[in-house]
Amino acid sequence: MSDSAEVLTTRSSGSQPARDGAHKAPSRADRPGRARADWRQRLEILILAGPAIIVFLTFVIFPVFMAAYYGFFKWKGFGVPTNFVGLQNYITIFTDQNFLDALKHNAFIVVLSLIMQGPAAIAFALLLNQNIRGRSVIRVLIFVPYVISEVIVGTGWGLMLQYQGAVNTLLSNMGLGALKGDWIADPNIAIWTLMVIISWKYIGFAVILMLAGIQGIPDELYEAAAIDGASYWQIQRWITLPLLGPTIRVWAFLSVIGSMQLFDLVYIIWGQYVASTAGTSTMATYMVREGRLAGNYGYGNAVGVAIFVISLVIALTYQRFVLRRDTDGALTGDSGKKHK
Amino acid sequence: MQRKVKGSALVALGASVALVLTGCSGAPAAPATSSGPVTMTFWHNSTTGDGLQYWKDTVAAFEKANPNVTINIQAIQNEDMDGKLQTALNSGDGPTIFMARGGGKLADVVAADKVMDITSQISSDVKTSYGDAIFSAFTVDGKIYGMPTSVLPGGIYYSKDLFKQAGITSTPTTFDELNADITKLKAAGITAIALGGKDAWPAAHWYYFFALRDCSKDAMNTAAAKKDFSDPCWTKAGEDLKAFSSTSPFNTGFLTTSAQQGAGSSAGMLANHKAAMELMGAWDPGVIASLTPDTKALPDLGWFAFPAVSGGSGDPSAMMGGSDGFACAKNAPAACVQFLNFIASKANQEGYAKAFQTLPASRDAQSGVTDPALKDVLTAYNKASYVMLWLDTMYGQNVGNALNGGVVNMLAGKGSPADIVTAVKTAAAKG
Repeated sequence: MSDSAEVLTTRSSGSQPARDGAHKAPSRADRPGRARADWRQRLEILILAGPAIIVFLTFVIFPVFMAAYYGFFKWKGFGVPTNFVGLQNYITIFTDQNFLDALKHNAFIVVLSLIMQGPAAIAFALLLNQNIRGRSVIRVLIFVPYVISEVIVGTGWGLMLQYQGAVNTLLSNMGLGALKGDWIADPNIAIWTLMVIISWKYIGFAVILMLAGIQGIPDELYEAAAIDGASYWQIQRWITLPLLGPTIRVWAFLSVIGSMQLFDLVYIIWGQYVASTAGTSTMATYMVREGRLAGNYGYGNAVGVAIFVISLVIALTYQRFVLRRDTDGALTGDSGKKHK
Repeated sequence: MQRKVKGSALVALGASVALVLTGCSGAPAAPATSSGPVTMTFWHNSTTGDGLQYWKDTVAAFEKANPNVTINIQAIQNEDMDGKLQTALNSGDGPTIFMARGGGKLADVVAADKVMDITSQISSDVKTSYGDAIFSAFTVDGKIYGMPTSVLPGGIYYSKDLFKQAGITSTPTTFDELNADITKLKAAGITAIALGGKDAWPAAHWYYFFALRDCSKDAMNTAAAKKDFSDPCWTKAGEDLKAFSSTSPFNTGFLTTSAQQGAGSSAGMLANHKAAMELMGAWDPGVIASLTPDTKALPDLGWFAFPAVSGGSGDPSAMMGGSDGFACAKNAPAACVQFLNFIASKANQEGYAKAFQTLPASRDAQSGVTDPALKDVLTAYNKASYVMLWLDTMYGQNVGNALNGGVVNMLAGKGSPADIVTAVKTAAAKG
């Protein structure tokens, strides 16, 4: 208790001297002042947090509960749902091969994203941390795809990768006609095409994170290692990588969440129906197809709840077992002290 | 400390809710009176070219004749229309006048009580010039809910020049002849059939047409009424399509080809002589025209009916098609039906047919059709023993969705004909 009180006092750093005084020597004379301060504080919280809380409750929490409610009905989306079917929708979801396929694709994308983007991003970050010519240009070029909207990326790649598209034309003009493929429609390569596009699109974000992480590592450590005679690779292995750990873990978390929710790229490139045939459907595209396009809004809501629960379990597990050591100091004052 | 924060958060919440509520109640809803100014919203699906202009002009003409009426037009891309419309109607903030395609899709809207019964309000002039049959697609339980603007029977559109180039002298009437023609086209280095598989419904149309030839009229109507697809003709239609697609008649990469967007789409391939045929509805000449290099009608465009299938129980003269039309929201003002009667007049129907290069619903206006391909369609349409609705329209969104997916899967080699029927049955469990 005293620990956290100390933390609080240091954090408020003298901006409220009256309050500090009250803490040290409570007396009747200070009461009115303290009450006014409390009231002011409440007003401040009300004004600053109120709108955000309203928006959060209205557009995040409320829809989650509504989805859970609609998920128990067969409902065409008109009026109030009346046809209660209990858990039937959920049983249908987990026995529908199309959903299980989509889940499998999501898992594939999660794992492949980590494997493909992680090491490449760290390598790029190390490279861009050197004093090389044109460094800022390369940084911009790597980050540009991340800034472009998904719809534009999807439309562009979708057009280029069609059988009669630019990629195949380029290949045959280069005399590599044998390599031509139906990049989007062939179920054997479609998901790899998707992985390449995803990596191209999102690696900039990972690189920027890693760069920031590397630049946060104190120079003294490198100097000390250099004096001790460590080689460049030894320094990266024993200093950069371990100290980059928190950044890598946060990036991996964001990447996993993004992969679970992947929708726009797939929907734009493969359209409303071909994704599941080509083997690139995700849980989100399944939800739109079976819920919105089919007009089965009750079922669609149930799919939404299933996706929510799956994502939540993964996120909480990751928080509990991986992110915990990074967030320990930040979120829990007492144990944070101990680590220091 | 913890409790205090919670308390103030609640206060904040309460205060903000109060603010929001008073904000809402401050704006009174505009009363809708018949004499005062009337504002209506109007959703259609023509986002480009003459069609877009036609609706602008027609609405302007209507507003001029009825000065107290204002109509806000919103053009919505065709592939987005059904989903957006459903969301909007359900939110209670839907359009006053909206596009309707009849059949099961309309029946869903009727069941939800979102659309106006216009049976008694259709003007006698319109009734005479339209005839009764055309309204059947928009009739649910004996009541009419929509005003058709076009008849859109389907069939195969083809390039006469490319057929000539391949040495084909007459259009095929049976599948054996069609297969022979495809072989000739391929030998001449021409892509035989363009297919917009990315949008799925063009692929599903191939299945529908095989079903039209394989299934009797009764079998199709039973399926519509009871959602019962157990008649073996449904599987036979799938087998016929599979056998046909195994000869690779479609353009390479048809699964990722869209139907109507850009020169690379199936309609665009026809418009640029990159493919010889396409199975489509009567809107196709208009779509193709918008995609030719000079955006004018394709001069050598021809049409023939879907060929007969051996061993099928369907009548070879039967046609399949839809009707585009418009409906009024449940609580629409009287001006809404006035507008529907207005667009159904002979002059406006002729304008419609010209702008969209399609067949008007009004029989009076049909005499004005000059496009040779459309004339052929019209002749076949008037001779047809019966006309079925597009199956996805007739059987509703849910079954249509399942058919779309099932057919695309089969064409990609991932499913069997029986899987299509299974997919339709599974769909019943979801809605």
